[in-house]
Amino acid sequence: MHQKTPEIYSVELSGTKDIVKTDKGDGKEKYRGLKNNCLELKKKNHKEEFQKELHLDDHKLSNRELEEKYGTDIIMVYLGCVLGLVVILTGIFAYYQEAKSTNIMSSFNKMIPQQALVIRDSEKKTIPSEQLVVGDIVEVKGGDQIPADIRVLSSQGCRVDNSSLTGESEPQPRSSEFTHENPLETKNICFYSTTCLEGTVTGMVINTGDRTIIGHIASLASGVGNEKTPIAIEIEHFVHIVAGVAVSIGILFFIIAVSLKYQVLDSIIFLIGIIVANVPEGLLATVTVTLSLTAKRMAKKNCLVKNLEAVETLGSTSIICSDKTGTLTQNRMTVAHLWFDNQIFVADTSEDHSNQVFDQSSRTWASLSKIITLCNRAEFKPGQENVPIMKKAVIGDASETALLKFSEVILGDVMEIRKRNRKVAEIPFNSTNKFQLSIHEMDDPHGKRFLMVMKGAPERILEKCSTIMINGEEHPLDKSTAKTFHTAYMELGGLGERVLGFCHLYLPADEFPETYSFDIDAMNFPTSNLCFVGLLSMIDPPRSTVPDAVTKCRSAGIKVIMVTGDHPITAKAIAKSVGIISANSETVEDIAHRLNIAVEQVNKRDAKAAVVTGMELKDMSSEQLDEILANYQEIVFARTSPQQKLIIVEGCQRQDAVVAVTGDGVNDSPALKKADIGIAMGIAGSDAAKNAADMVLLDDNFASIVTGVEEGRLIFDNLKKTIAYSLTKNIAELCPFLIYIIVGLPLPIGTITILFIDLGTDIIPSIALAYEKAESDIMNRKPRHKNKDRLVNQPLAVYSYLHIGLMQALGAFLVYFTVYAQEGFLPRTLINLRVEWEKDYVNDLKDSYGQEWTRYQREYLEWTGYTAFFVGILVQQIADLIIRKTRRNSIFQQGLFRNKVIWVGITSQIIIGLILSYGLGSVTALSFTMLRAQYWFVAVPHAILIWVYDEVRKLFIRLYPGSWWDKNMYY
Amino acid sequence: MTKNEKKSLNQSLAEWKLFIYNPTTGEFLGRTAKSWGLILLFYLVFYGFLAALFSFTMWVMLQTLNDEVPKYRDQIPSPGSSSSPASVSQVTGTTGMHHHTHLIFVFLEEMGFHYIGQAGLDLLTSSDPPASASQSARITGLMVFPKPVTALEYTFSRSDPTSYAGYIEDLKKFLKPYTLEEQKNLTVCPDGALFEQKGPVYVACQFPISLLQACSGMNDPDFGYSQGNPCILVKMNRIIGLKPEGVPRIDCVSKNEDIPNVAVYPHNGMIDLKYFPYYGKKLHVGYLQPLVAVQVSFAPNNTGKEVTVECKIDGSANLKSQDDRDKFLGRVMFKITARA
Repeated sequence: MHQKTPEIYSVELSGTKDIVKTDKGDGKEKYRGLKNNCLELKKKNHKEEFQKELHLDDHKLSNRELEEKYGTDIIMVYLGCVLGLVVILTGIFAYYQEAKSTNIMSSFNKMIPQQALVIRDSEKKTIPSEQLVVGDIVEVKGGDQIPADIRVLSSQGCRVDNSSLTGESEPQPRSSEFTHENPLETKNICFYSTTCLEGTVTGMVINTGDRTIIGHIASLASGVGNEKTPIAIEIEHFVHIVAGVAVSIGILFFIIAVSLKYQVLDSIIFLIGIIVANVPEGLLATVTVTLSLTAKRMAKKNCLVKNLEAVETLGSTSIICSDKTGTLTQNRMTVAHLWFDNQIFVADTSEDHSNQVFDQSSRTWASLSKIITLCNRAEFKPGQENVPIMKKAVIGDASETALLKFSEVILGDVMEIRKRNRKVAEIPFNSTNKFQLSIHEMDDPHGKRFLMVMKGAPERILEKCSTIMINGEEHPLDKSTAKTFHTAYMELGGLGERVLGFCHLYLPADEFPETYSFDIDAMNFPTSNLCFVGLLSMIDPPRSTVPDAVTKCRSAGIKVIMVTGDHPITAKAIAKSVGIISANSETVEDIAHRLNIAVEQVNKRDAKAAVVTGMELKDMSSEQLDEILANYQEIVFARTSPQQKLIIVEGCQRQDAVVAVTGDGVNDSPALKKADIGIAMGIAGSDAAKNAADMVLLDDNFASIVTGVEEGRLIFDNLKKTIAYSLTKNIAELCPFLIYIIVGLPLPIGTITILFIDLGTDIIPSIALAYEKAESDIMNRKPRHKNKDRLVNQPLAVYSYLHIGLMQALGAFLVYFTVYAQEGFLPRTLINLRVEWEKDYVNDLKDSYGQEWTRYQREYLEWTGYTAFFVGILVQQIADLIIRKTRRNSIFQQGLFRNKVIWVGITSQIIIGLILSYGLGSVTALSFTMLRAQYWFVAVPHAILIWVYDEVRKLFIRLYPGSWWDKNMYY
Repeated sequence: MTKNEKKSLNQSLAEWKLFIYNPTTGEFLGRTAKSWGLILLFYLVFYGFLAALFSFTMWVMLQTLNDEVPKYRDQIPSPGSSSSPASVSQVTGTTGMHHHTHLIFVFLEEMGFHYIGQAGLDLLTSSDPPASASQSARITGLMVFPKPVTALEYTFSRSDPTSYAGYIEDLKKFLKPYTLEEQKNLTVCPDGALFEQKGPVYVACQFPISLLQACSGMNDPDFGYSQGNPCILVKMNRIIGLKPEGVPRIDCVSKNEDIPNVAVYPHNGMIDLKYFPYYGKKLHVGYLQPLVAVQVSFAPNNTGKEVTVECKIDGSANLKSQDDRDKFLGRVMFKITARA
């Protein structure tokens, strides 16, 4: 014994070589690697046995003999390895897909380090803003970001842009006075991360980091848990169904197997087989790919989807809560209306201002335009010659910018006009005098004189005027003209617009000669008895695509709610202009106003629309909120805080609605996170919003949401088709096991073969269904009900399992029986043959013709049977794929060739099948053999039958909508 | 929290109850009686139709078969096709495969699949049948008796008759068709040549059991087990149309150097060619395949030792006895352990 010891190792080595050799021609490297691994593992376990059984020649043994010797079924080891691999690969795949889209977002995440100018130790220092502490005195000048929450100590004409925090488009003046109870609305606090647009402010740091308002919102956002997406819920529901079916059938047959006196271990193997057959292994990958394909398609249309599952969520959305500023509107003040010559003119507020149609022939307009041009401090930044006017960057506040661009569009080169009319004196706007004044030299060749132009709050301007210009003539300002002015002012104000008044005065040349020196402080010039020229009103106008998109959402059954931090009047005006409040619907207040009665007397049911402010919302119970959300079709929430946005979203979700929230500001981020799908604006949106959102609209276009809804609904329909397609074959994979257990046929299809269908031939076709076009106008139906319109409903499961699946199983059995019968085993011989068939030492099993078969010959025939069954399923899955193109329409209505990818899928299916059968037919582990060509056609009649049957089903569904047939057969 | 859960449990229980039977709508398991009736009727008709359809297609498929010889014999192919009986030659060998005048293909032809189908078939029939390239010499398996139960290992004790009673019974059962009485109606065929027949009636040749000499069971009803010289019978698997070339014999050797005494009956393990070819269960009624007996003689000092015996087909060019995958193809290996 001792002498022979060295041989142990040589035996082992040659054993391994032998195994590798037998598997030459094995096309797949990884399987060989796997096999070696498995064997090596086994070898370790059996080292002791090697020593004992030295006299047996292991190196001469084939895999089979090895299996027998060591009691390890190599096939089972493969199966274990393959199943493990499947789980790991699909996991990695899903992770990769998620990571890819998350990575895109992390690029948005970069924070630019901020500096703050702080007064410490009585000197001014620049330090990184995170080093600020409470109590520091900081100085902020125009253009800087506010480094922390600060209480203003002193300010010089400071205005901050709070739009990302409160949704107000207009710059907010900041001063040291306390003006409002609400810290968000008082003037003496500047908030961290907002921008100081102009002026300077000195303040004391009162909060830093997480304790700032922004930090609070951020923690609010991160505190909102990630809700499960509707599609995740649907897939979970589907998994429950599949698992339920698999486990219950598995256990049922386990019991049957045990009662049929099978060994417990065998019965457990059956159980596993049944479960493997019943689980659509490839579906996870398919769903992920399908979703990411749609995500890609949407990215092309400027919807960047961060969370893949959100693709579908948009499709089931039933309420969109939209922020106003930056989402529905352009987030830029624009001249909307003009009033001169006692008339209101409408200015074009579209994105490019190209189409100004109001009457520009009046001489009043000439004067007005001059005031607009001259009484303006805003300037274009240099170096933008080729940029369209509306996109040029401007130094100056929002209203001045609006006026500058407005005049540039209409009059041409504004800077040139200003150059010709040199400015000699100027009083900038401040909150006490509420006007802006400048004095210019006229370029009038007839006589040099000065023109004084002034703009400001209309009532203040009017006070200073004694005349009014109408059609270029100065008229005395009497009571009736004052009244028309007031009417116009109220009307424009009622539209939620910011109104400015304009007046001028030609200074008499004799009193003010060319050399006259104007002194701003001494005011050595008249500031009363001026000539009133006109009014101009500005608004942050809606994006031009929004009204159309809102209409489309409406027709798709989606309720659009506006939630904004802005004033109710502005909010309502914008809501009306984009159709969130439709033209003929009224709020309670409108009705009260029309009927001239008190608001309380109005029957609330008469009003279709409602405008709810944050103050009202504060006092409401959640039941009252629910009532409002349920009863009004058109709702605008104004002056809402970030917390209230969250409450509104939760309220909507209580209505069983799938809620989409759009927003761009930091104040929207908690709501974005809470929503079923948060949609952030890519250009205007803050990083916080983008991070909290599931989807980013790269072009800030609300209309992209409509595209998203359409894609989402399509993907839901197509996923339904994909799942129906994938479920069908489960029965054809399951029946063999059941028949095998009960009737005792030789196993018709092996577990590995099943995996090759689930993960091989069926993957590309099921992905191809994602490219299927919609069957009807999916934008004209109601959004699906979250709890009623399931992805996998009863008819789908029943139709897939009990109708098509069963037909498929029969077709595949036909191929199986054909192969066995033509090789010598007639169907009746096969019954209860299983036990003898599988005995390794029965090597003379008689077939129906009296021939005797060895175990290996039988096994090879069994593999041929697997291949035949596989081909049978494959051929019928082609028919299944074609019928799944539609659920209601005939295939011929849908067009057999419209979706080319389907044909790619079918081709891939056939090619993979051919490769498996003819290419890898010699690889033992895969249990495929070369099948005669005619067996590929045996199941064709069944495939055609499947198609015909499904066409009949669809025909009856179309003919008798709502009938018993429709209810039971439409999935 | 627990209160809530309890409530929801009760609720779900109530929901289930309502689902099982809803008294207001009269729904049972979510359907009314009428609905159940309709759905059951539908499935009755639908499944009836499917069953009929499946039976019909199976019937059509069975029509494509020949009663006497399997349509294809990829796993157990007959070597060549020369001078087979007319009825057999249609479907044996490679020439027979051109005759695909079967109903299934009538289906296909009607549906326009004719050319594809036929082209595919021609492609196959013109070359070797699938998977047969490496198996042209793979012909027949060997099988031993007594029938092994779990493994090819026989253990007995010569002093304990119960230890081998099962073996003897099995051998007797196996040899029953070979008794003189059973063979009465069989023909005595000329020795040393293939016994080819043209039909329509095919006769079977006698296999005189006396050829097995000591293992025939005629003189020694214990087949040598009681003396410690156990008999094992080896047979070749029946293959329709198999015609061995040369002088086939079964060669058995002991792998154990201590116990070389392996006797083979008939002499030299000869298998007479007159038993070939076999014409199938239906035509060749009463066919008996030739047997070879192996007797291992355990000397008294060798008791308790294990002997591995390997038997192989030899002497015939077209009978393969070596195959990487099928270890019973033309050979068989078994172990015998005799105890005192």
